[in-house]
Amino acid sequence: MLLIDTEGIKSLNTLFLKIIKRSLTEDALSWLEAKVALIKTEEKTVQLNMSFAHLPRFASRALVGLEAGEHDEIERLLPGFKIDDWSHDRLCRVWLLMQVPAQDQSAHFNKINGLFTAAEMNEQVALYSALALFQYPELWISRCEEGIRSNIGTVLEAIMYHNPYPAAYLPEPSFNQLVLKAFFTEKDVKLIVGLQERLNKSLSDTLEDYVQERLAAHRTVLPEIYQLIEQTKEKI
Amino acid sequence: MCCNENFRERNEGEKIQTILDLNDISGMKFFDPHVHMTSRTTDDYQAMADAGIVALIEPAFWLGQPRTGADSFRDYYSSLIGWERFRSSQFGIKHYCTIGLNSREANNEKLAEQVMEILPQFIFKEGVVGIGEIGFDDQTAAEDKYYRLQLDLALEAGLPVQVHTPHRDKKKGTQRSMDIAIEHGLAPHMVIIDHNNEETVKEVLDRGFYAAFTIYPFTKMGNERMVEVVKQYGTERIMINSAADWGISDPLAIPKTAALMKQSGISLQDIELVTYRNAITAFGQSGQINENDFVAVKNIDQSQKFASNSILRGGQQPRIDKNSIIIS
Repeated sequence: MLLIDTEGIKSLNTLFLKIIKRSLTEDALSWLEAKVALIKTEEKTVQLNMSFAHLPRFASRALVGLEAGEHDEIERLLPGFKIDDWSHDRLCRVWLLMQVPAQDQSAHFNKINGLFTAAEMNEQVALYSALALFQYPELWISRCEEGIRSNIGTVLEAIMYHNPYPAAYLPEPSFNQLVLKAFFTEKDVKLIVGLQERLNKSLSDTLEDYVQERLAAHRTVLPEIYQLIEQTKEKI
Repeated sequence: MCCNENFRERNEGEKIQTILDLNDISGMKFFDPHVHMTSRTTDDYQAMADAGIVALIEPAFWLGQPRTGADSFRDYYSSLIGWERFRSSQFGIKHYCTIGLNSREANNEKLAEQVMEILPQFIFKEGVVGIGEIGFDDQTAAEDKYYRLQLDLALEAGLPVQVHTPHRDKKKGTQRSMDIAIEHGLAPHMVIIDHNNEETVKEVLDRGFYAAFTIYPFTKMGNERMVEVVKQYGTERIMINSAADWGISDPLAIPKTAALMKQSGISLQDIELVTYRNAITAFGQSGQINENDFVAVKNIDQSQKFASNSILRGGQQPRIDKNSIIIS
């Protein structure tokens, strides 16, 4: 199952490049284009690994600054996906990941997986943001589950916020884990894509236990937790 | 184990400032059966020694992010019985550890298999007082698998087990941890169920397990709540720990809680049980804890400190004056 078809990916690819071109200097853009040409033809991963890490020295950390219509166009192509609060370097990295050749499934996986294994925080953010855009999304389920175990706030947000991947691909236990982790780390659960559709009894039972635990500890309970429990009851 | 959790809670509500006065607990000695010293500074060791902590247990855990190779585990285990033990001794604190594959990293099955090969190398080392901390985090199938395998290892080795219970879905996770321990033939008195709260303690004690409480700001127990737990459940098989690590935690959690208990009218005998004796009884079942060593580690260091070439011999660390702007 694909969240987005090849045509959709192509359109996003074009749109992202248009936004990137607005922000990069001429020198930076020619550097990026030269690197992409090498990444598309190299058998190994030297160019990919180097340029993925190197990118923020060419792209700024300022916000992407979308133009009229671009937000809606992205929403149309990949519902739930938002890049409004992304920095340029994050968008450039995600776009770079979209250029990794995908004809050979296992080579494609190994190349991107290699980036995950050595990623620093901002690289992790870009990698997890791109999960829904990868060609073989079902290969990244356990990686996404691993990401939910992260203690790094921005990495969790890259998975939890405006990212259609978890709701579309995670099995119930790990999706529930994502929601619980969001509450435990005080994330805004309203930004989890597909939460309403994925509500289930097991999640609601666990949330009820959590409410009891908080009350026994004389702690406050977030109203969103009660809301989710209620919504689950209505749904079932 | 901690998370970057509950930042909002930390900042809300009125803070009542009360100062720990070491005189309140002077002469008392404490045993912290769960503290991750690897992630703490020498200042913490000094403060702990000053506050009366004479011995501690450092459970093997994760390092805040997942390891990617088996050698990282080997080096870590080896550091717990090597460098960290030595570092602790420099402050006159006897250092023990538990060895195990933590729940989070059990989810990397390929690596977990290799770690299971390494564990037997370490469990009979001197000063290893149990298998730990093991148990559930997300409660996945892989966590279940490696929890069970390590219970078998503990049973075979005759070692106590230090069980980490999950932050999320705690009540069910705790029940499940106990059910599985029983299923694998472990006697409840050989299992220390850690990170209890008001919702889990009754069943843990009723079933004959040890109940450990982690006094950890914001995410686990506060010590005022702990005072109430002791008033309600008594002191049998109950112990407290700091679980101090790289999160916002407090290596003085035990002395502070002892002071609070004393202020709240709990008897000195009861305080000793939950802050010292019960942990030694539980982990002493490994045959690896000798209280005379608590004194020995102090004496050795004190004598080295006064020896002419103490630093070269690795004697106790010299004190620095923290109030001085001069660092010499």
